[in-house]
Amino acid sequence: MNHTMKLTIRRVEGAMIRALGLIERRGFAVTSINASENQPSHELELIIGLRSADRSIDVLARQIEKLFDVCSVSLQQQNEPAIRLEESMAC
Amino acid sequence: MMTGAQLLVKALEQEGVETVFGYPGGAIMPVYDALVDSRLDHVLVRHEQGAVLAADGYARASGRVGVCIATSGPGATNLITGIANAYLDSVPLVAITGQVPTALMGTDAFQEVDIFGMTMPIVKHSFLVRDVEDIPRVVGEAFHIASEGRPGPVLIDLPKDITNSSTSQPPLFEVKSKALGGPDPDQVKTACGLIRSAKQPVLYAGGGVGIGRAVDAFRDYAKASGIPVVATLKGLGALPTRDPAFIGMLGMHGNQAANEVVQAADLLICVGARFDDRATGKLDGFAPRAKVVHLDADPAEISKLRHADAALLGDLSQSLASLPTGLSLEPWQRWCAERKHARQWRYDAPGEGIYVPDMLRQVSLADPELIISCDVGQHQMWVAQHCHFNRPEQHLTSAGLGAMGFGIPAAIGAQFADPGARVLTVSGDGSIMMNIQELATINRYQLPIKILLVDNSSLGLVRQWQQLFHGERYSEVDLSDNPDFVAVAKSFGIPGFRVERRTQVAAAIDRLLQSEGPMLAHVCIDPMSNVWPLVPPGQTNDVMLEEQSA
Repeated sequence: MNHTMKLTIRRVEGAMIRALGLIERRGFAVTSINASENQPSHELELIIGLRSADRSIDVLARQIEKLFDVCSVSLQQQNEPAIRLEESMAC
Repeated sequence: MMTGAQLLVKALEQEGVETVFGYPGGAIMPVYDALVDSRLDHVLVRHEQGAVLAADGYARASGRVGVCIATSGPGATNLITGIANAYLDSVPLVAITGQVPTALMGTDAFQEVDIFGMTMPIVKHSFLVRDVEDIPRVVGEAFHIASEGRPGPVLIDLPKDITNSSTSQPPLFEVKSKALGGPDPDQVKTACGLIRSAKQPVLYAGGGVGIGRAVDAFRDYAKASGIPVVATLKGLGALPTRDPAFIGMLGMHGNQAANEVVQAADLLICVGARFDDRATGKLDGFAPRAKVVHLDADPAEISKLRHADAALLGDLSQSLASLPTGLSLEPWQRWCAERKHARQWRYDAPGEGIYVPDMLRQVSLADPELIISCDVGQHQMWVAQHCHFNRPEQHLTSAGLGAMGFGIPAAIGAQFADPGARVLTVSGDGSIMMNIQELATINRYQLPIKILLVDNSSLGLVRQWQQLFHGERYSEVDLSDNPDFVAVAKSFGIPGFRVERRTQVAAAIDRLLQSEGPMLAHVCIDPMSNVWPLVPPGQTNDVMLEEQSA
């Protein structure tokens, strides 16, 4: 299943890698990423394309939400066919 | 003016820290210099893994945040196993590491590793301090994060130029403790409906009951509802293990009755547990007819592995207090009691050799208030099966990580947490060698820790699996060239004695537990002893292998 996750994170050391590392570790492949800085708040907004064959995106969202540098998480689901995780992470 | 190191020490003191476990080295030397003038008690271990596991044991036994300190590079990497251990068992821990000066970071400097990056997957949070004035705030946040909600480890990485630089002391950061709220009323309503309509409910207690200080509330609810109780490895002691309502530990090496009761249940009330694979066996066959009410402090655990029909997030005591009592469960209670009776442990093993389950049962009965720390392996499972625990803090075990070498450092931590406590480590001949250097710490501080070393001259649990699941193709499990453990202990200043026959066990237990100072009992058992029963990997908990008669 493909998903799009919007994350707002604090601009502190390690925040982005912590969020991205968690996404991959919990069984999702990152298929696209777009980052932009919100100037007034100095927060970073990430629009991340994700793919997983069998993991729950809602559980992932709650896991990311627990990170102390993450300000907000929202999800947008897309109905594209999923591919197997091993294929999606081919490396 | 103060240095960053002095500021750190002052911040630790303000947090109420009394004891820290650590090992000095180059990049952390400013902190060790500041410790000279501090009222903090520093416990010098002999390996950084000993420091972090001792801090872990301190935290488990006391409920307070454990603190360990190490230098950069190898000092920091030696903490990693212990940080992972605290992460997987939700133990509140603050690990402080020295780091090379900021100007050298990223240059592959001497003793430089990116410990901040390396530990990201196994910390609840971490900080790399780049401004000396941030130290009090970071320490305050670290302690708050380590202990709030679902506890866990927090890393503070401190470059040497930061701890060496001076600052006028900024105001110390104060964190207002954030109390966990109560559960969502709609979910409570759903949960109450499920419980009232259940005919065969089971309370499934995890480590969260102890961690969340919900033992009293759990016991009150178990008693008022009359619902039978099973526990995970970390949930042992949520209800006293000798309580009639306690059926047993579930899972791979659990009690058969506990697994039977769970498999027959129509409702699981999961309290601070996380459907770990060692508890559930094959997940899609676990409690197949049961609906689930899940009580937890951590939102990420809800429906992670098993769908929750009702999720009560927040403080466990509040959630438990919202559940219905006065249930009519008589036929179910009777059936559970019958299963428990039918599956009770037997201690009449044939032969002259030492039967470890019976020995451990006797140890536990000889001193019901013992704090027992375990290493990892067969002896760990035997402790969980056969020792009795009146409260969760009595049982210190590396459950999630299964880290061999946990036992002795954890016992050291527990003894510092409560100097009056009677602390026993049960270890194996494989595990004890993983942190044997900490015998020097026991001797250095003259800690009265008792060590019960169960020696089967092999890596017993691996050997058992090779026997059962790998066609008896034994691969690298023979430890028959072990050292003379009594002589080893003696060389560390710890007296010891050897136990080889069943007839010696009672006197040995007495000698071990009655000794004034530290003592090692080296117990030699049959190398082919196995842990029974056993759910084979990949099977459901319906399939439990029993002891195969010789």
